[in-house]
Amino acid sequence: MSSQAEVSTKRPIMTQTEPVAKKTAAKKPVAAKAKAVSEAKAVKPSAKKRSGQAFPFTAIVGQEEMKLSLILNIIDSRIGGVLVMGHRGTGKSTTVRALAEVLPFIERVAGDTYNRTVEQYIEGEEDKKGSKAIDPATLKVEQIPVPVVDLPLGATEDRVCGTIDIEQALTSGVKAFEPGLLAQANRGFLYIDEVNLLDDHLVDVLLDVAASGRNVVEREGISIRHPARFVLVGSGNPEEGELRPQLLDRFGLHARIITILDIEKRVAIVKLRREFDDDPDAFMHKYNKEQLKLQKKIQTAKDLLPQVTMTDEVLTDIAKLCMNLGIDGHRGELTITRTAHAHAAYKGETVVTMQHVKEIAGLCLRHRLRKDPLETLDAGEKIDRELAKILGEAEAV
Amino acid sequence: MIAFTDIVGMDLAKQALMLLAVDSELGGVVIPSAVGSGKSTLARAFADILPESTPFVELPLNVTEDRLIGGVDLEATLATGLRVVQHGVLSKAHGGVLYVDSLSLLDSSAVSHVMDAMSRGEVLVEREGLSEVHPAKFMLVGTYDPTDGEVRMGLLDRIGIIVPFTAQNDYRARKKIVKMVMGTRDAEDTRDELNMLAGFINAAKEQLPHVSITDDQIRALIQTAISLGVEGNRVDIFTVRAAIASAALAQRSDVDEEDMKQAIKLVLIPRATRMPEKEAESNEAPPQEEMPPEEPEAEDEEAPSDTPDAEAEEEQKETPDMIEELMMEAIEMELPDNILNISLASKKKATTGSRGEALNNKRGRFVRSQPGEMRSGKVALIPTLISAAPWQETRRRDSKMAGRPKTALLITKDDVKIKRFRDKSGTLFIFMVDASGSMALNRMRQAKGAVASLLQNAYVHRDQVALISFRGKQAQVLLPPSQSVDRAKRELDVLPTGGGTPLASALYLGWETAKQARTKGITQVMFVLITDGRGNIGLQATFDPTAEKATKEELEKEVEALSLSIQADGVAAIVIDTQMNYLSRGEAPKLAQKLGGRYFYLPNAKAEQIVEAAMSF
Repeated sequence: MSSQAEVSTKRPIMTQTEPVAKKTAAKKPVAAKAKAVSEAKAVKPSAKKRSGQAFPFTAIVGQEEMKLSLILNIIDSRIGGVLVMGHRGTGKSTTVRALAEVLPFIERVAGDTYNRTVEQYIEGEEDKKGSKAIDPATLKVEQIPVPVVDLPLGATEDRVCGTIDIEQALTSGVKAFEPGLLAQANRGFLYIDEVNLLDDHLVDVLLDVAASGRNVVEREGISIRHPARFVLVGSGNPEEGELRPQLLDRFGLHARIITILDIEKRVAIVKLRREFDDDPDAFMHKYNKEQLKLQKKIQTAKDLLPQVTMTDEVLTDIAKLCMNLGIDGHRGELTITRTAHAHAAYKGETVVTMQHVKEIAGLCLRHRLRKDPLETLDAGEKIDRELAKILGEAEAV
Repeated sequence: MIAFTDIVGMDLAKQALMLLAVDSELGGVVIPSAVGSGKSTLARAFADILPESTPFVELPLNVTEDRLIGGVDLEATLATGLRVVQHGVLSKAHGGVLYVDSLSLLDSSAVSHVMDAMSRGEVLVEREGLSEVHPAKFMLVGTYDPTDGEVRMGLLDRIGIIVPFTAQNDYRARKKIVKMVMGTRDAEDTRDELNMLAGFINAAKEQLPHVSITDDQIRALIQTAISLGVEGNRVDIFTVRAAIASAALAQRSDVDEEDMKQAIKLVLIPRATRMPEKEAESNEAPPQEEMPPEEPEAEDEEAPSDTPDAEAEEEQKETPDMIEELMMEAIEMELPDNILNISLASKKKATTGSRGEALNNKRGRFVRSQPGEMRSGKVALIPTLISAAPWQETRRRDSKMAGRPKTALLITKDDVKIKRFRDKSGTLFIFMVDASGSMALNRMRQAKGAVASLLQNAYVHRDQVALISFRGKQAQVLLPPSQSVDRAKRELDVLPTGGGTPLASALYLGWETAKQARTKGITQVMFVLITDGRGNIGLQATFDPTAEKATKEELEKEVEALSLSIQADGVAAIVIDTQMNYLSRGEAPKLAQKLGGRYFYLPNAKAEQIVEAAMSF
């Protein structure tokens, strides 16, 4: 790998390998950063480490719609993410944060901040002016869990997109690019809690990157483009504010979540939570088997996905459904098709049926229906009604 | 400084704080109280009963984002050439108390950050090249005056205890407070009392892990939450925790009735959105001014909208009768007089959508900086310097090579950050929907459509909409200024109709809402009245159910006086007439005239036209 401290000359040299060398693991930029800080004897070193343990995914009671949406997005990351909207205090963020524990592993070039595969790495690095060809054999690879990156509301644009490494710039006058959250989220999940409250400015950035799959940073001698393909996961409470229509449209699935009214389930939630709070380690241990089982099930589904097929009849019915519901564009059909494939794979089946479609149609289309102020019918009911019509037709034939 | 034990009255608030001192996982305590009730004195005295050296950080209302979350310490960074991090207020409160006075006035972006920190127990700092996690597990103690507006529900949901609002009107207690403030008590007494209390709390903390609660008790608490229509499942956990903390305070190892009542009182009742069935029937006291007699039915209609009530009722039967009765008793005992007020109050605790506050480059309060053109706004000096600082070294070198003269600081246009201000701009549309018997249902549908499309538009224009309905004896705010289409739609869907037409009450309430919005920075207010203009219930009847029926002249006078004042106050208005043509005696046009507003005749107007009319103003 190239040396990390390249001295800037007239035209500062920037290579993307610098941060790679500096941060040995993108998942833990923390450790690297903390080290850098303490070496420099800064005033307050602070490690970027999650203090609390996440509640296990498999111990979450109810809220099946949200859980299924998340799992399907792991199985096929092209589904386009999920927006979880619903009541306060119903475990939205708990569930998303629990996701990290059941995610499968991906392979990347060892230490690559952008989580690139060998091919992507070579492509990216060779693209640069004046770079030499890289021999794949010289690259080490490593297995990391699919990254889950949290984008807090207070994040500034430079941290989201990446910016100059302040320390290096201050100490040695080197313009090194310090990748931001979008880089860390590449090939993983990007989670925004209270997404409906996100600053418009950041929403613009996200829309841009989500559409192109690339993040471009151009600034005074820095010109960086890196892949930024991620599954966007947002959650929020609709009562706190509306989501920008363009952003809403970006989400593949839209899960709704309401307060659980089943009293026994609620008792179970309280008891589980208390158990977890008392002794998180013991609790995690108790659910270890379940967690591994789910993780394996997801991996199996991921492996099965390429073999899943869909008949033209089912495809026709999907198209009809979207047409009858008056959905603009083709994103509706595309999302249903992909999601139904993933759903079939999750169930261990290789042929998509209308039953699969039925189970996920609401998730895929709910947010794509045109808003009619005079409409009293819930979007979900409308979809169900149209589905029933099509299924009736299909059965009658 | 007045000690915790010296404060007279506010027993519930004190109990609440003690529970929090015993179990910090309760998240916090919110104390709504009128001005001068000593709530902030009490909150500050909370530190007395916490272990020594527990951080107690006060959050100033005008806090900026970087002070709240933390960021680069420019001075130290420039001085040392190393990145020096400054922790924010949220992380400074770690392990202790974050106190907010006038919580309802806290800027909504600040509220979001507080909420985020509370749900994570830490602050993610992803700013200005920093990527750090600072621990921020704190108890939030907030006090506010409900007349300033309500606290955002999302925030309240993360705070375990909400002290039920009671206006302090016990004159004896007041007298004592005055005395307390004027003179000081024997310092030794105070110290002894404090020590004793601290001892109690310590003992309770030790007792806490040894308190057990039965499944039936948990079930009963949850049942109560369901029948009170409390949203979300997080509150269940708080309720159980509060009951356990209460038992621990009494040095018991089992939760008993009193503990459960305490938990219901402090956690559930303040969040009630409806009263349990039984309660509505047994409440024989003359209905409070807030609710027309038909209201219990209305509440019923409301329930199915998003909470399948049948299910809840079915479950209710399964609960052991004994416990259920106990719960009812707790509810009845604690809130015999103002129960309806409280349930209504919680309804009013709607969110003021944060989008109502537009970020802009010119006015309002500075909240954050962002890259921008120097001419497009005010330059944020410090952020600009922060962003320029790292480049100095290279630029100096470059500039030397280019043979340019030496300058102290090299700032380029890329460095420039401009200030973003948060300003509640846009117009507030107050829809006043006549839901009296004289409104035909189909008109209602049109009116609902108009409100909904206006809301959609409001999103784009950053306007806000409030919804007031009037029927029976008085008007009611269904939706305080907000931008939530969902919420408005839901409120509209369940809007009950029938009864008299308290037009004056609606105007009055609308005016009040307008005034309150103005204190929050909204400059333009417009009334959209959807009515036939035939008021038949006077203001007097609103406040006093036994009052004599107002005469027609009195009614007219009332409406006229109000209308003129509203007009003089600079509130714009349009009146949408819903009267059938052949019945009309021209009341609605008259009303429009008095308000100085425009008049529309609905049967000719479609929802879109109403929207157009309102927006074009």
